[in-house]
Amino acid sequence: MGSALENFVNQVRTMSASGSFRELADDLPESVSLLARNWSILDNVLETLDVQQHTLGVLYVLLAKLHSAATANPEPVQIIQLMRDFVQRNNVEQLRFAICAFYETCHLFTDYLVQKNLSILGIKIMARAVDQIRQMDTQLTPIHADLCLLSLKAKNFNLVLAYLDTDITDISTAAAECKTQQQQQSQHTDANNDAKYFLLFYYYGGMIYTAVKNYDRALYFFEVCITTPAMAMSHIMLEAYKKFLMVSLIVEGNVSGSERVSFVQTNLYLSCLYLQIAFIPKNTQVIGRFMKPMASHYHDLVSVYANSSSEELRILILKYSEAFTRDSNMGLAKQVATSLYKRNIKRLTKTFLTLSLSDVASRVQLSGAAEAERYILNMIKSGEIYASINQKDGMVLFKDDPEKYNSPDMFLNVQTNITQVLDLVKQINKMEEEIILNPMYVKKALGSQDDDLTSQHPKTYSGDPTD
Amino acid sequence: MQSNKYNDLLDRLENEELEVELGAEVYQQLLAIYLYQNKLANAKLLWMRIPDKLKEDKELLHLNQLNVALQNNNFAEFFQKIRYDWSECVKPAMEDLLVKQREDLLTLAGNAYVSIYQNNLLKMAQMTEDELKNAASALDWTRELNGDDVIWLPKAKETPPTGGNDDQLLKLTEFVTFLEN
Repeated sequence: MGSALENFVNQVRTMSASGSFRELADDLPESVSLLARNWSILDNVLETLDVQQHTLGVLYVLLAKLHSAATANPEPVQIIQLMRDFVQRNNVEQLRFAICAFYETCHLFTDYLVQKNLSILGIKIMARAVDQIRQMDTQLTPIHADLCLLSLKAKNFNLVLAYLDTDITDISTAAAECKTQQQQQSQHTDANNDAKYFLLFYYYGGMIYTAVKNYDRALYFFEVCITTPAMAMSHIMLEAYKKFLMVSLIVEGNVSGSERVSFVQTNLYLSCLYLQIAFIPKNTQVIGRFMKPMASHYHDLVSVYANSSSEELRILILKYSEAFTRDSNMGLAKQVATSLYKRNIKRLTKTFLTLSLSDVASRVQLSGAAEAERYILNMIKSGEIYASINQKDGMVLFKDDPEKYNSPDMFLNVQTNITQVLDLVKQINKMEEEIILNPMYVKKALGSQDDDLTSQHPKTYSGDPTD
Repeated sequence: MQSNKYNDLLDRLENEELEVELGAEVYQQLLAIYLYQNKLANAKLLWMRIPDKLKEDKELLHLNQLNVALQNNNFAEFFQKIRYDWSECVKPAMEDLLVKQREDLLTLAGNAYVSIYQNNLLKMAQMTEDELKNAASALDWTRELNGDDVIWLPKAKETPPTGGNDDQLLKLTEFVTFLEN
């Protein structure tokens, strides 16, 4: 037993010293089972290796340690300390040769912490890991999802929000990394996991934004999650779809929640049509065929919401409360109910200039003038409506938005928006250029043209020189 | 500037929370700062992640009641609960919070009411009549009598118009040149 481990250590040391990291990364996956079998003496192995010089070796020892955590039952503090040390002192150049193994280590570490209920201690470590491994700030890695999961479990979002706020322009997937590294990915990662971590990132992200009440951004995250092209339905998508319906009612409640939902659905159908033309897997049928029937409660909610009757909505929520609680969406359901009251009050402002408080109460089915006043006061406070209450006569005066678009603040606002749009244009141009210059794309674009042409003039392009 | 006052402390405490287990005192401070900065969602989440055994801490319980009152926009409750013998570590934040909320409430009342019964306002703000009188006269509100009831006619606060400056002009010029090219 000992000699096999000695061999491992020697191999790591000599190959690291001679700088043949690629060969080392190719060889190491085979030793995982050996290391995991010898879990009891892994600490001794670690002592002979240096994180900075033998990053790859240490990484695999950590991987083995986490693999054997169920049997070995190590001290959580020790594992956390090891990981912290590793992400702080490792050598990123070496790490790049074994990105898959690193991702796997992070996933296992996350699972381990969640299991031990110590999520909060892992947030910083994962954030550091993300910083290290991503090639640019806007790149999404599979371990983003781990960071989100830990934050959700710990209910601590201070750190993760910075990562969520960056718009993603590039995705690092385990499959792609493994291909470039020519590792045997079968034993390491399943390509399907990439999709899983991608969806999870957006699902968790949406949940985090919902928790901090940034509903617009939450909606966007859920939307990305459910509009991801797919052949089959993922349960992550289904759950995201449920939450998406609810959040869209809360966000767009003041415009028209149901319109928004159906708008997104038509959009999806359209994009599907487009995608089919582009030979990308048919997607939205997934929503229509699988998700809709499985989220029927939520669709009922949307249609009742559209009737604007708070009473009916309340009854419906009560009726489905069990299902909502099971999906942990009860809190959202209550917020949907509140948002309907607000939406109804907001609609009154479009029709009336003045209205007595008791009229408001009866029209939006609130219990009385006092409650109506409370709602209106809250809405004035949050800037949702513009009105003034006259307690003397018990009336409320609805006013127009006093914004005249002439203040410096508004100018600043417009300015930031313009800058954002300009940046976006730049980004799109850049990405388009990348696609146009991509040999695969050129080949395909020319190829289909060839097909057309060959059918017309069989002999014009007889052979593709690149073939 | 004012709301930045606690930022350094906040950063330090938030960092600390990610690395070691905290005692009740740090949680009190965190919660108080979140309340002061009006980050109610953060305060709520913080309460949710405070370990159960610490939740029996009286001051934490009290702070959470404040948070709940603020979330529900329940002013009367809030001003009642904030009258409390706070310990040294949260006292400054609580005093600032009280001043700020008073100010906010009066601004809100100015914006939202054409007329309001003195009784209601007193109840909301938990002030004495004299305190209210001083605050209202500072804001240039007028008083009216309706039978025995006193009614205040608040005046909306006008934000002083600030003229454009060179910097903004520069930015505008940039946009125009961009559009022209």
